[in-house]
Amino acid sequence: MTDWTIILRSMTSRLFSTLVTVLTVAIAVGLLVVLASMRDAGRRAFERGSGDMHLLVSADASPLVSVLNGVFYANAPRRPITWERYEQLVKGTPAEWAIPTQLGDSYMGLPVLATTPEFFTRFRPDAEHPWKAASGRFFDKPFEVVVGARAAKATGLRVGERVFLTHGIAQSRQAGDAGAPEAHVHYDFSYEVVGVLEPTGSSHDRAVFTDLASSWVIHAHDRRTRQDPAIKTTTEADLVAADRLITGVYLRLFTRPGSNTPANLPQVFDALRRDATLTVAQPKQEIDRLFVIVSDLNQIFLAIGACVLLASGVGIMLALYNSMESRRRQVAVLRVLGASKGRVFGLVLTESALIGVMGAIVGAGGAAIGARLVAAALKSRVGVVVTPDLSPTVVVVLLAGTVVLAALAGVVPAVMAYRTSVARNLRPIG
Amino acid sequence: MTTPIPLSIRDLKFRYEPAGPWTVEIAQLDVRAGEQVLLTGGSGSGKSTLLHLVSGLVDPAEGSVLIAGHNIHDLRGARRDLFRGRHVGVIFQTFNLLHGFSALENVMAAMMFGTIPRAEHAGRARRLLEHLGIERVDAPADRLSVGQQQRVAVARALACDPVLVLADEPTASLDPENSDAAIRLIQEACREKSAALVCVSHDPAMTERFERRVRLADLARPLG
Repeated sequence: MTDWTIILRSMTSRLFSTLVTVLTVAIAVGLLVVLASMRDAGRRAFERGSGDMHLLVSADASPLVSVLNGVFYANAPRRPITWERYEQLVKGTPAEWAIPTQLGDSYMGLPVLATTPEFFTRFRPDAEHPWKAASGRFFDKPFEVVVGARAAKATGLRVGERVFLTHGIAQSRQAGDAGAPEAHVHYDFSYEVVGVLEPTGSSHDRAVFTDLASSWVIHAHDRRTRQDPAIKTTTEADLVAADRLITGVYLRLFTRPGSNTPANLPQVFDALRRDATLTVAQPKQEIDRLFVIVSDLNQIFLAIGACVLLASGVGIMLALYNSMESRRRQVAVLRVLGASKGRVFGLVLTESALIGVMGAIVGAGGAAIGARLVAAALKSRVGVVVTPDLSPTVVVVLLAGTVVLAALAGVVPAVMAYRTSVARNLRPIG
Repeated sequence: MTTPIPLSIRDLKFRYEPAGPWTVEIAQLDVRAGEQVLLTGGSGSGKSTLLHLVSGLVDPAEGSVLIAGHNIHDLRGARRDLFRGRHVGVIFQTFNLLHGFSALENVMAAMMFGTIPRAEHAGRARRLLEHLGIERVDAPADRLSVGQQQRVAVARALACDPVLVLADEPTASLDPENSDAAIRLIQEACREKSAALVCVSHDPAMTERFERRVRLADLARPLG
């Protein structure tokens, strides 16, 4: 028989109340753990889309817009870059690779990125993992498309099927939006699906990829038929300089082995920015900037979590406060047996803290398991890769804070126990 | 060197209201080792209050209560509580066993605050209960019969080998047959442990069982 026996017996004697209180604390702790771990996980999920590129060059209005469009397919960039300028840029930049991209078309509302085969062989959407085809292969000649994992799931496209691309990225009737204006579909040119990609957990999973030359051809054909409706077909031989347009360039600079940070990044960045017609973005920096913008929202979420935790502390106090009414006699008996006021105060305070410890462990454990289950579900259902991760320091601070809060919640009931009148509470009942 | 007597009260006065009448007024009362005293008095005569004073649960306005030579009211806070737990056993009218704890745990609870090594608690408590006729020592105390609960209460009061046992109307909630058995049990148990017994009761049937009987009202003036 120890103090722990008394504490545990007190908790089990009102098991339902104890379990509900522990659950309340667990939910609050779990919520905070999930919010804290997902905050970093969300940032990492965003960073994954920019992969191993160091710079993104476009003609967008700002670097952030450039990243939102060029990496996250928010909109089709309105201002293009000529192929000639691209070639100058490649020639004048000490880059490991420079991959041209063009956005503007869509398939069933999903963005179509026209690029070169190097997009799959050089660029990695996740810095540590290269592209992999779940079925088929990457494109290697015009009028072939490769479908991202989420795009394949959304459209049901399979290798061997043929598709027609739509001009523009906005919602279209093709995407099932009956109220949308009729979009122009490039019916004169069909594409063959030659591959479906494995999920990468990045924004690229919801895109369709094709080669740059065929994209130029279908748009050149539009130009030419506007000029001469009798024209039946267009080939690469018909392309003029004004047709050869791109909307972005993924750039990777040379790095030392084992490092992902190029030493000449600032110099290259500044050199490219001298051309006022170009917008140069460091994707990671822009994503950080985006997260600074939305950080207030994170603070609000964390504040809500803290409020829930505080409410659970009040719950502990109420549960123990109510139990004290029926425990006054027990306290009085313990006092007669030799327990000091301080010891009964400690018993109640320890019980309160123990509820906090149990809630914190259940909450943190549940959140850790739950976050992984949710992450697995997100990956399999929507292709979003979220890796919940939390620094041990944050976990320890959170758990210690919970226990301290729980102990504080026990102060009022503990004071009640401390002040229990022995003589009054040992009187015969009835 | 003489061993201090278990209980020595001198000029003890207590009242609940500062200007009110004295609830307890005792000029002198000594209880020697192994002695068994019955304090009688009507309702409201201050019997229970006297026990609270002796056990140090309330402080007197005047006078002293020496238990084994120590004035319990000179001790403060936790020291007084520990002293009480180690030197005074208390038996209540309604037993006041700890709800939700077994008979064994109720006895061990008293030992938590004593000087008996923790490793000996379970064995000693078990032997004490079995000696007092409790076989189901692990049964919840509140599921035992009234007579058995009384025995558990006695065992708990004697768990730390106190020099003094205070019994507050120990038979008030028992029928006459059980009442006689209960007081016999308390007396025998105290005798075996050489503990002095101070029993307060207004039950006339109890008087025959005690050689020394004192009316509380008579203690207000010095005993001749």
